[in-house]
Amino acid sequence: MSLTQLRPSAQHRAEPPRTPNKVKLWLYRFDTKTVPYALIAPFFLLFGVFGLFPIIFNGVVALRNWRLDDPTLTGWAGFGNFTKLLSDEDFWNALGNTFGIFLLSTVPQLLAALIVASVLNRRLRATTWWRIGVLLPYLTPVVASTLVFAVFFSRDYGMANWFLSLVGFGESDPLDWRAAKWSSWIAIATMVNWKWIGYNALLYLSAMQTIPKDVYEAAAVDGAGPWRQLWRITVPMIQPVVVFTVILSTIGGLQLFNEPMMFDENPQSASGGSDHQFQTIAQLIYKVGWKDLNLGYAAAMSWALFLIILIVAGVNALLTKRIGGDR
Amino acid sequence: MERLGKRTLRATAAGVAATLAIAGCSGQDLEGGNEDNASGGQVTLKVAFWGDMGLDKLKAAYEKDHPNVKIVLNSGEYNAQHEDLQKKLVAGSGAPDISAIDEGFIVQFRSQADKFVNYLDKGGAEFESKYLPWKWKQSLSPDGKQIGLGTDVGGLAMCYRTDLFQKAGLPTDRDAVSKLWPNWDAFLNVGKQYVAKTGKKFVDSGTNMFNPVLAQQPVGFYNEQEQLQMEGGPKVAFDVSMKAIEADLSADLASFQPNWDQGFKKDQFAVLACPAWMLGHIQDTAPEQKGKWDIAAIPGGGGNWGGSWWTVPSQGKNVDAAVDFVKWMVQPEQQIEVFKTVGNLPSQPALYKDPAVLDYKKEFMSNAPTGQIFAATAENLQPQYLGKKNGPTRVAVENVITRVQQGGLKPEAAWAEAVKEAEKAAKS
Repeated sequence: MSLTQLRPSAQHRAEPPRTPNKVKLWLYRFDTKTVPYALIAPFFLLFGVFGLFPIIFNGVVALRNWRLDDPTLTGWAGFGNFTKLLSDEDFWNALGNTFGIFLLSTVPQLLAALIVASVLNRRLRATTWWRIGVLLPYLTPVVASTLVFAVFFSRDYGMANWFLSLVGFGESDPLDWRAAKWSSWIAIATMVNWKWIGYNALLYLSAMQTIPKDVYEAAAVDGAGPWRQLWRITVPMIQPVVVFTVILSTIGGLQLFNEPMMFDENPQSASGGSDHQFQTIAQLIYKVGWKDLNLGYAAAMSWALFLIILIVAGVNALLTKRIGGDR
Repeated sequence: MERLGKRTLRATAAGVAATLAIAGCSGQDLEGGNEDNASGGQVTLKVAFWGDMGLDKLKAAYEKDHPNVKIVLNSGEYNAQHEDLQKKLVAGSGAPDISAIDEGFIVQFRSQADKFVNYLDKGGAEFESKYLPWKWKQSLSPDGKQIGLGTDVGGLAMCYRTDLFQKAGLPTDRDAVSKLWPNWDAFLNVGKQYVAKTGKKFVDSGTNMFNPVLAQQPVGFYNEQEQLQMEGGPKVAFDVSMKAIEADLSADLASFQPNWDQGFKKDQFAVLACPAWMLGHIQDTAPEQKGKWDIAAIPGGGGNWGGSWWTVPSQGKNVDAAVDFVKWMVQPEQQIEVFKTVGNLPSQPALYKDPAVLDYKKEFMSNAPTGQIFAATAENLQPQYLGKKNGPTRVAVENVITRVQQGGLKPEAAWAEAVKEAEKAAKS
């Protein structure tokens, strides 16, 4: 094959079908340069309308005074809403509650999911049945399950108190789950854990199945027990999925709204308990915006929450990578 | 070339379709009513409310007389309807043509009077003399715009369980029971007797002591200058609720929640402060207690809890037709019809003399003459100014009462806490 063969002869050059080639070329260019953008455009359009625009608009509102109950109070507020936030004890209380419930739910949830997944990864009878079974709580609508839990944790006729009375606790004076911080946090964390353990377990399971069996066999020969295998082999090898679940549950945990909202005896006040024992930030944003009708301040809180989530999710991702990488 | 062209075409078509789908969301397709209006003089009126306001018969009658009007009834959940209205008002479109607003929300909406039709501009002034003065005033904006025409008022009485009273050795006849408690101290004493005798609780919650007492005070949380007045009426009401809790009369149940409904069935309380519309709730919650309830006067006399107005958001396309329908709905014949169907008490005192109201007896409540009882309390009520921040302030103080019930706060320290929380709510 020589180069000269590739060069068209003079005869060819003189031939007419030059014009259709131009159209073809243009279409080809259009196809490679423009069509991909057209194809992904719907996503970005939707994201712009329902994602980006609200975030930016929210940022603008956060810098303004906007009260529905006082239309005369309007105009730019600068960073007034944000400075107010720093000295608002309700906000700090809600932040504390959110992190408290977040820790009580995320840490046990991911650990339990890991254990469930490693159990499911063994040889079991009726494997599919078990795997679908752990996913059932995730399929249950959150409102339905939360309503059931609200009754489960009720003071007078709740099942939780019935169980406690079986072991001799609070028979005469039943525990009011909503009254104290610790008990309400545990109740809400239980709802979150129940819902998400199975989902995370399935994610872990799918990652675990990519780990070659001979690694475990080698470890077993070297005398490593199941617990050691889990921490020394499984966790480091499924680390990307662990990072993913940590980020997702951080975002979900810090935006917690439905569970505390419907757990409250008087959901309409959105006060998260009589003394704001379990009022989360998302709930406080809702209350400030739609109960106190202070949209500007609520928008500032949303932005604060956005930034907090970014920071916490970033830190968590770094930590998880660290843990996995070291081992 | 053939292949290339097809692919391009397909891709472009897909893009165009997607874009159209998005653009379609913002189009007029969703608002079906307007098209009708433009084409044939046909008007569709959407009416939003909660529960059952007795409109089914009225709708049929009105549509028969006005063939060009179609009425769409949209009954939803109480809070959701109000919040939805608020969101649509902010958005500037999508609100119903006619929306019911309850007493608990009227203050919030009357301060946005520019978003509603002012009935005074539509010849609504003639109605003023027909209404209870305080009812007319509650929906009047600070700058004198009338955003609502009243439909019902709650009135306030004390419902009690005759069977439980009998077991406790208390009288059961409604007049004798009314004489037992001319004031709230006497009421608390009856409660102590009941608790001592039966070992059960007497009232459902401390907050349901606080609210009726507060409603009877000349000044509520706020005076007309919008200043918080905690040492006046609120203090009186708060003390009554504290006394009830300290005497262990309260079952500590939050109203309208599952535990409260359970409380009806398990006889956890023997009395309940009840407005006219509460009767329906008792009947639905505990149908097996038919004939076991009766109605006595409320201690202290007078009071009101709840009641609504019909408003017309000004963003609507058929504002005039909507106003006409509302004016028709608040006419005496229709108001009597509603009273007969669902028991909602009209807010026009002339109707209290109407035989239909006067002679009405509620079978479920041991044949109590509910029309007479509730009308008397509504007429005796001292109009109370509700401040802009009335709703949040009430929630804040109710939460303090709940904390005392839950044992997280000592009754002695509660008042200071209530004042603190109320001041915070006033500034929120």
